[in-house]
Amino acid sequence: MRARRILLVFLAALMAAGWATIPSLASAREVTFLDLTDFTGPVAGLALPGSLGLEDYIKDINARGGVQGVKVKYLGVDTRYDVARMLSSFKRYRRDDSVLAINIVSTPFGKVLKEITAKEKMAMTIPGDGEYQASPGNFFTWGPTYQDAFAAAMDWVIDDWKKQGKTGKPVVGHLAWDSPYGREPLRGGKEHAEKIGINLLNPEFFPSGTPKHDVYLSRLEAAGANYIYVACVDPAPTNVLRDAAAMGLHKKIQFITDYWGPTALGVGTHPQAVEGAVVVSFFLRGEEAKNHPITKRIWTTYRKDPAEKMNETYGMGIVWGMTFEAALKDAIKRVGAEKLSREVIYESYQRITGMSREGITGSCAYSPSSRRGSQEVKFYRCTNGKIVPITDWVRTPDAVSLHKW
Amino acid sequence: MWRPCGTFDETYQKDMAIVRTPLRWAVLVVSLTLTGLLPVLVPYYFVSFLNNLAITVILVMGLQIVSGYCGQISFGQAAFMAVGAYSAAILTQKLGLSFWLALPLSGIFTGLFGLVGGAPSLRIKGFYLAVATIAVHFVTMWLILHLDLTGRSQGLTVEPPSLAGYIFDTDERMFYIIMPVMILMTYGARNLVRTRVGRALVAVRDNDLAAQVMGIHLFYYKLLAFFISCFYAGVAGCLWAHLTLVAHFEQFTLLHALWYIGMLIVGGMGSIPGVFFGVILVRILDELVMVVSPFLAAWFPWLGSAPAAGLGVTAFGLVLAFFLIWEPRGLAHRWEILKASLRLYPFVH
Repeated sequence: MRARRILLVFLAALMAAGWATIPSLASAREVTFLDLTDFTGPVAGLALPGSLGLEDYIKDINARGGVQGVKVKYLGVDTRYDVARMLSSFKRYRRDDSVLAINIVSTPFGKVLKEITAKEKMAMTIPGDGEYQASPGNFFTWGPTYQDAFAAAMDWVIDDWKKQGKTGKPVVGHLAWDSPYGREPLRGGKEHAEKIGINLLNPEFFPSGTPKHDVYLSRLEAAGANYIYVACVDPAPTNVLRDAAAMGLHKKIQFITDYWGPTALGVGTHPQAVEGAVVVSFFLRGEEAKNHPITKRIWTTYRKDPAEKMNETYGMGIVWGMTFEAALKDAIKRVGAEKLSREVIYESYQRITGMSREGITGSCAYSPSSRRGSQEVKFYRCTNGKIVPITDWVRTPDAVSLHKW
Repeated sequence: MWRPCGTFDETYQKDMAIVRTPLRWAVLVVSLTLTGLLPVLVPYYFVSFLNNLAITVILVMGLQIVSGYCGQISFGQAAFMAVGAYSAAILTQKLGLSFWLALPLSGIFTGLFGLVGGAPSLRIKGFYLAVATIAVHFVTMWLILHLDLTGRSQGLTVEPPSLAGYIFDTDERMFYIIMPVMILMTYGARNLVRTRVGRALVAVRDNDLAAQVMGIHLFYYKLLAFFISCFYAGVAGCLWAHLTLVAHFEQFTLLHALWYIGMLIVGGMGSIPGVFFGVILVRILDELVMVVSPFLAAWFPWLGSAPAAGLGVTAFGLVLAFFLIWEPRGLAHRWEILKASLRLYPFVH
């Protein structure tokens, strides 16, 4: 009985504390960056370190006195890959005028918010779906679109094929999560692959959470794949590579993963299985990410851990923060701190074309006609338990325009 | 059951009435009036929250019929909701039907679809049936992802409903569709469980062999329970699709199905008010975590945003464990005890 009473009192106190603190969200010289992110769920592997990077970068902005005196508040909400929860969070915080921009982590969230916010002018950053570039609106992708990255990977395949002195068409398989994200690279990427003379096999899709991938890998092997492009979120790509290694496929097929391929997490867990796999990334990976002066400084300052423990998507989160900072700076310069609004920030996101991300990603490519976060990717290879660069920044082809939307 | 002191039923109609006394009528009228005024009285966010709540109530009400009353555990409710959402999107956007026609039709279609899901219930029960319904979930998702009709991985966009030129394109406007539908369906469920069908469902739940001996056709009633349950899920799916303006398979995951079962356990199996208790408690808890976690992160910086924000799943697990251990009959049971003690007050047993 006593335990029940204590629990009831605790719940009541929690409720009272929650409602009582709502008005304190907004204050005069503070703006909010809302991060609707998956701290838990299937894409938490990328979302959590990314959000930590964003949160820490915002702490750093404030430690430097804010953006021309305007402090930034980081508001992170765990959306758990749950659309209903995301929608509820979005509707809740939309009424808070201090929220000037929103970062959303999951593809399905974008699908829903795109319809709901079609008439609104509010900057929302989102992973890499090409549809937002095909018809520019209020969604801004973090880097090049998924199809652009796939097209760049196909260009790399052609180069690699020629370097090996092979003739004929390279045969490429696509192995991805059975989701819009998994299929997105092919919307334009497929057209690009066919254009440059690649024999693209029928794609293979598997549900997220699949423990073994042998059946899909076997089919692609039987179809004669020379290369397999893997699109899923770590640790899933690491698991695919682990299965491929167990089947001995890594010796005869070159695996390429997209942005969310093996991070420090995967390489640390299965160094032998991921050996030789190529990663196409719009943000720094491996030692490059850990040794970058900005990511290293912010990580060690706010995480208080050695840089070796950093997951590379942390740097990507820092870039989200840098981009918001640049947009905020532009907005304050144009209208002053008192007149900041979502629409002003939305316009500013389109005005920061060419803004430097200090080499963590390519420079900002947002403009009135572009929703791409950047237009460069870098290729890495997993070698001896490390992720090492094998190219410099490479400009991605425009695969979005090849697709009939 | 318990009656207010001094209230006697003198006719059969009075005995069967859901609302028995003038006071209850008054409470009902006032409640309905206040509910109707809510979009004007409360902020937009609360209206949006109530819409979400009402759709979940409809969905879990369906689950209550098949699981709480008929005893057939189903983890397919999220998939059935998806079928409803997609049916509505296809009916309105591809076949050009009005939302008002699509609403019952998507329920009926989902009900028919649910008959397939419920078919194994004659041969298997308990955990085995639960696993079979999980399989139904995955098959449904596979179909959605591989049919051109469903827009494959891209889903289908939906236009907001309209009536005589009036477009229901905001949460406040959708409230006037969602809430009456919820009330209507609650009324339907409340009546259903008092009918011959309802009693047969309970008999099947309590002892299916005994029920069969009494002449209850097991297969018919189990399938009927699945049909009704899926009808509710279909209607909920149709409303959800028209609220979010999109039908997308990632909105209906197995995790959602687990949450719905959790709501049923917290509220109380085999009770219509239990559905409300379960849905409201879990949803409010969820919202509270969303509200409180940023402040927790601010008050305790060492905790960081991620652990603070991730409290939701932990809280849900704790609440579920609490109810399973201390109150397995759910909040509805507590409610009945409270009502009984209030009616007897100031007297005691």
